[in-house]
Amino acid sequence: MIRLYIPGDAAALAVGASDVARAMTSEAVRRGVDIAITRTGSRGMVWLEPLVEVETPGGRIAYGPVDAHDVASLFDAGFLAGDDHPLRIGRPEDHPWLRDQTRITFARCGIVDPASLSDYRARGGFAGLAKARAIGPEAIIAAVTASGLRGRGGAGFPAGIKWKTVAAAAGAPKYVVCNADEGDSGTFADRMILEGDPFALIEGMAIAGFATGANTGFVYARSEYPHAIRAFGRALDVVRADGALGAFDIKLRIGAGAYVCGEETALLESLEGKRGQVRAKPPLPAHKGLFGQPTVVNNVLTLATAPWILAHGAEAYANLGVGRSRGTQPIQLAGNVRFPGLYETPFGLTLGELVMGVGGGTASGRPVRAVQCGGPLGAYFPPALFDTVYDYEAFAARDGLIGHGGIVVFDDTVDMAVQARFAFDFCALESCGKCTPCRIGSVRGAETLDKVIAGIEVEANLALVEDLCHTLKFGSLCALGSFTPYPVMSALTHFPEDFRRLAAGSETRVS
Amino acid sequence: MANQIAAFFRLQGDAAAVAGIEDHLRKYWDPRMRGQIIAHLRAGGEGLAPAAREAVARLDQGVQQTS
Amino acid sequence: MIAMALGSDIDLGTPPVSSDRMVDLTIDGRPVTAPEGASILRAAALAGIDIPKLCATDSLEPFGSCRLCLVEIEGQNGTPASCTTPVADGMAVATHSERLDRLRHGVMELYLSDHPGAGIKTAIGEAARRAGVTEVRYGEGGACHAEAKADASNPYFTFHSSACIVCSRCVRACDEVQGTLALTIAGRGFASHVSASQEETFLGSECVSCGACVQVCPTDALIEKSVIAAGAPERSVVTTCAYCGVGCAFEAQMKGDQLVRMTPWKHGKANHGHSCVKGRFAWGYANHRERMLKPMVREAITDAWREVGWDEAIAFAADRFRTIQQTYGRGSLGAITSSRCTNEETYLVQKLARAALHTNNVDTCARVCHSPTGYGLKAAFGTSAGTQDFDSVDHSDVILVIGANPTDAHPVFASRMKRRLRAGAKLIVIDPRGIDLVRMPHISATHHLALTPGTNVAVLNALAHVIVTEGLVDEAFVRDRCDLAAFQAWAAFIADPVNSPEAVETVCSVPAAELRAAARLYATGGAAAIYYGLGVTEHSQGTTTVMAIANLAMATGNLGRPGVGVNPLRGQNNVQGACDMGSFPHELSGYRHVSDEPTRRLFESLWGVALDPEPGLRIPNMIDAAIDGSFRGIYIQGEDILQSDPDTHVVAAGLAAMDCVIVQDLFLNETASYAHVFFPGSTFLEKDGTFTNAERRIQRVRKVMEPRNGLADWEITQRFSNALDYPMTYGHPREIMTEIAALTPTFAGVSYDKLEELGSIQWPCNADAPEGTPVMHIGHFARGAGEFMLTEYVPTEERTGVRFPLLLTTGRVLTQYNVGAQTRRTENSIWHKEDRLEIHPHDAEHRGIADGDWVKLASREGETSLRSLITERVAPGVIYTTFHHPSTQANVVTTEHSDWATNCPEYKVTAVQVTLSKGPTAWQTAAEAQNRLARRIVPVPAE
Repeated sequence: MIRLYIPGDAAALAVGASDVARAMTSEAVRRGVDIAITRTGSRGMVWLEPLVEVETPGGRIAYGPVDAHDVASLFDAGFLAGDDHPLRIGRPEDHPWLRDQTRITFARCGIVDPASLSDYRARGGFAGLAKARAIGPEAIIAAVTASGLRGRGGAGFPAGIKWKTVAAAAGAPKYVVCNADEGDSGTFADRMILEGDPFALIEGMAIAGFATGANTGFVYARSEYPHAIRAFGRALDVVRADGALGAFDIKLRIGAGAYVCGEETALLESLEGKRGQVRAKPPLPAHKGLFGQPTVVNNVLTLATAPWILAHGAEAYANLGVGRSRGTQPIQLAGNVRFPGLYETPFGLTLGELVMGVGGGTASGRPVRAVQCGGPLGAYFPPALFDTVYDYEAFAARDGLIGHGGIVVFDDTVDMAVQARFAFDFCALESCGKCTPCRIGSVRGAETLDKVIAGIEVEANLALVEDLCHTLKFGSLCALGSFTPYPVMSALTHFPEDFRRLAAGSETRVS
Repeated sequence: MANQIAAFFRLQGDAAAVAGIEDHLRKYWDPRMRGQIIAHLRAGGEGLAPAAREAVARLDQGVQQTS
Repeated sequence: MIAMALGSDIDLGTPPVSSDRMVDLTIDGRPVTAPEGASILRAAALAGIDIPKLCATDSLEPFGSCRLCLVEIEGQNGTPASCTTPVADGMAVATHSERLDRLRHGVMELYLSDHPGAGIKTAIGEAARRAGVTEVRYGEGGACHAEAKADASNPYFTFHSSACIVCSRCVRACDEVQGTLALTIAGRGFASHVSASQEETFLGSECVSCGACVQVCPTDALIEKSVIAAGAPERSVVTTCAYCGVGCAFEAQMKGDQLVRMTPWKHGKANHGHSCVKGRFAWGYANHRERMLKPMVREAITDAWREVGWDEAIAFAADRFRTIQQTYGRGSLGAITSSRCTNEETYLVQKLARAALHTNNVDTCARVCHSPTGYGLKAAFGTSAGTQDFDSVDHSDVILVIGANPTDAHPVFASRMKRRLRAGAKLIVIDPRGIDLVRMPHISATHHLALTPGTNVAVLNALAHVIVTEGLVDEAFVRDRCDLAAFQAWAAFIADPVNSPEAVETVCSVPAAELRAAARLYATGGAAAIYYGLGVTEHSQGTTTVMAIANLAMATGNLGRPGVGVNPLRGQNNVQGACDMGSFPHELSGYRHVSDEPTRRLFESLWGVALDPEPGLRIPNMIDAAIDGSFRGIYIQGEDILQSDPDTHVVAAGLAAMDCVIVQDLFLNETASYAHVFFPGSTFLEKDGTFTNAERRIQRVRKVMEPRNGLADWEITQRFSNALDYPMTYGHPREIMTEIAALTPTFAGVSYDKLEELGSIQWPCNADAPEGTPVMHIGHFARGAGEFMLTEYVPTEERTGVRFPLLLTTGRVLTQYNVGAQTRRTENSIWHKEDRLEIHPHDAEHRGIADGDWVKLASREGETSLRSLITERVAPGVIYTTFHHPSTQANVVTTEHSDWATNCPEYKVTAVQVTLSKGPTAWQTAAEAQNRLARRIVPVPAE
């Protein structure tokens, strides 16, 4: 029997991975060959999906991107023995894109059967939890703090300090809430973990629960991730049946399509069954979170990284990275980019190395004009700033943010005035409507930029936009409103010409 | 109603019950009502519970003494 | 008099916090001290620094949405909202800076861009002016809510969505203050809007029209229709609501002599700024066309009324009374005081009876509601009143509600209770019916003991049995505070297996396990308070039930501190006061028996007359004596005994047998059909005085307009007394209170001056408690040692059988009040147009009754008809109705059974049958015809 690995990851499914799997099975039957297919997560090389791997005596050999029509020729070429074919990649771990990464959070993703606890255990699963139980809550929190792990959801708040606050907070019960409402455009890392290595998240939540005194965890997943929800639900069933978590239990909850519910307090409201509306802080969720109880709210990546840190020691993690940004960041390259996918690497590469080197420039082949980092509320960077080091503080110093690790690439056909307007539109669409700046300001911003784009009193209206951005930045209740100025102001600052095309005297807009 | 009152005092024992009923009738019943129940007793007191009967009898004596 | 300029109350932005620790900070360089946990906004307001705000108000938890109150804090990034940020030691706050001013300007410019027409008078206009916004640079033509539709469905207020700034104050008030959760914000972002229930109209939604949303709205989005019609009020007078026993303080807001609106007064200690649909909105009856304004007399009740002047009416009445007394003796007359009138008026009526008519034949409507409370609590604790103040509920861990329906009958207190329940207190409901409290948003009773009507004592004994036999008695409390011999006798009685849950289960239909669990929760769940209503008292064992409640509280040590106690929820605004004032035939003010010589002598010396040492007749006894012929005349102030008292046929016969019935009321009520003299009464808005609420709180009633009928009620009584040759010469009700204080030890310290100073006073108020007594029986009981009483369960004689197989019990709804005399004459009738008969689907099915069918309700006393309402709120075998409408007249079927100690009628248990009918019964048709005849009026001839 020969084992094949075909991703069940949504990105692979979207380009026909299941068709390929079915074609493989029928072709094998037709040829009387005994094969078994394991559906895995994705390795993260999205342009190579569907990526089919064959177990050979010399290790796994990958082929991709495979189309169902390629199956017969693959069999003909002897791919089951790892033989050559135009789609042959070779050993995936030798592929430069994977080889140059430092995979910690994503160490198992794309390799293991996400529903198999034995796979998980065979690749180091539960070592972190075992260590955690051996050293106790205080030492766990000390280790997470020492590792320098920061919240990967976007805020970058030190995870250890948050855990410590919850552990010290009076009140029972306490909760661990995993934010899996991954809504930033161009991001997919959370989804890949949920689909490709869900036990890592489960283990991380159990560690957080043990460290803080919480017996219940909630995973709040966005409804737009049906495959991830299914995969994670299956993993929960498996782990419950196994009893690996002891008294700790996790409940899976599905959002209702609001971006703002990725904001932690709106997420808590939604989890409580209420309208997804942002809460004022204080009180912090660590003091009064879910149902008014002390609550850890962490992103999927943060929690899924904790087991590795416990198993390998804080120092091993802290040794990676740069400045106050320690460890690795799973960076998601998307948009108009030649090599899109998930790239986990220690902090410290430059933005240019990531976009041009790792990403290979644009998919269209045209020059890169702008990249938006950190999701729809992140700043646009022009190539002139490609020397910026990928590091929370270095980005902040240039009015940008790392956010959840998304990088979206645009070529020179982009109209940045339209992009700036889109930022307001996005804010208006996703605003919960609680605070005035976001509720009214987002709409007024889009209207005012419409006037700018139409060439009406451009300078006065741009001054008004700048005032509005000040109001939004300092006046908004949450990051949705207060970060909307990042894309707007960065577009205004770095691409001023796009806002003055009609004002400059031309009758029609270019492009 | 006298029987209802008697029922409340029943468990206090005979002596206390009779005293309790008598006290209640004196404090809360208008003389005209007390007169009516005394007249009822004098006419045979049909239907009166034993403790109520005893209490009304005491009321009757009180009336005779003062008059 | 508390008359104030409108808007003079400073809004401190966020609610007070209870902390003893003070922190020091600086705001704009000024040193400020504030309690730990207070918001910066509140600390600043207390220091006289007014930070702009729109969404914050001190009756609601902070929300942080308007983003106007942002401040800077030294050493911190950003601009936190001062409403949501608590003060901290050493904090240095700046409320102004270039950045903050620019921010506020930006925010207000955004507000104005959506509300271009916002006038300077509204909160947004004012905030924009303060922020220095002179122009809106966003221009016109943008998205805007100006076209949003108004919702005028509610009879009392309109919601103008176009004026709404989505601050969520209304939503939060509905959640936090009222606890109905009827409002929400629907949509999101710019489309966010206030929605009643699921995008319904206010009238069609779950809204209970408490007015809390209107009260907190900072714009004109939610506004009273009376304000739209009459214009903004100019001045206000603080007074006390005349509906239920909660005693809400209100501001009567006036324009000239016209009442524009009633708004709950935030400093009112009973209501803390909250209100219900009755007090807030249902005051229009004062101007209803059926309001009687002229005195009337007639020779016989078959005659038409003749309108006369006051002098003639009073002379006519006095003449008749004198004649009766000359013919039939002193005992042939009597009076009924009204628990809707003031303490002073009530006091005067009983004084008139005792001093002018020389009789103790005086009674009050408490006879038919809480008289067992007075008897039972006096026997157990030594005081005929509830033990706590309303604030006490904030400290309760377990709340036991028995025979009360607070969300309907005492809605403002119910909101406090609900708030505590939402915060985690446990709830036990003992009621045959699934009242709203049993299950409502975020509230669920831990135990609902749905007992068979009439088995209260059995259930309470079973609870006590568990407490005694499972070792849950608070022995230290019993030893220190109670009569030990009485306790031991009681414990032996209650431990008898006949009182065990397993034995009682079959009697009351409550599973033994539920009884045991409820008893354990009450005894061990922390501070436990009992709240009860007429479902306790209006039984043949009403007094016994009150005693059984007292036993439970004493046995578990739940007395004498906040959070616990025995709390009767009083039905009428001044039922406590009417009882305090000596309205009962056996006692003088302050609950002192007429046989007590020193007390009598005190009154005799001040009043200058000899007083009868024998108790007088109670209301039912008066009726019986009237039928016998020995009772011939009655002066009834503000009570409609024909509608409210049981066994209507008997009451009607008694009234018809009298020679002179004097009715003093706002309207020609049902009783007036049997009257010979009608004195038109005055409303609470037209007189001065005091009311005493269910927590013994004496509060001022202030005259906001002249009596439309010409005289305040106390003046009518005074003139009547003078005509009876017993002189009364009070110039103002304050003089009456001075007399009450001089004669009543528990009121010794009460005066109008002190009421002005303290706002309100809870009696006892005397040398021992110069500022009154919020919680009673601290340290020791008023009577000394608490008295346990043997409370044997004796089943009522009212039994179901083949002819009358169902048990009828009665109650109230939120929007109507008592016999409906006031509320039926307001827009409130939109919610409750008729009394309906609630019947379980099984019982309805069995009888072929569909929802809304006309049914005949019959008991051995009489029959009436009304429409059915099929519901599982009532158990099979139990039916329920309200008694708000005279056309239904539920009391036609109630019986003569009554409480053994007080004669309080057994309203809550009547054996009945229900059958399909075609419409009103013969009795209803005849009564209507008779009322038409009896209400004919010949106008006063022109002079």
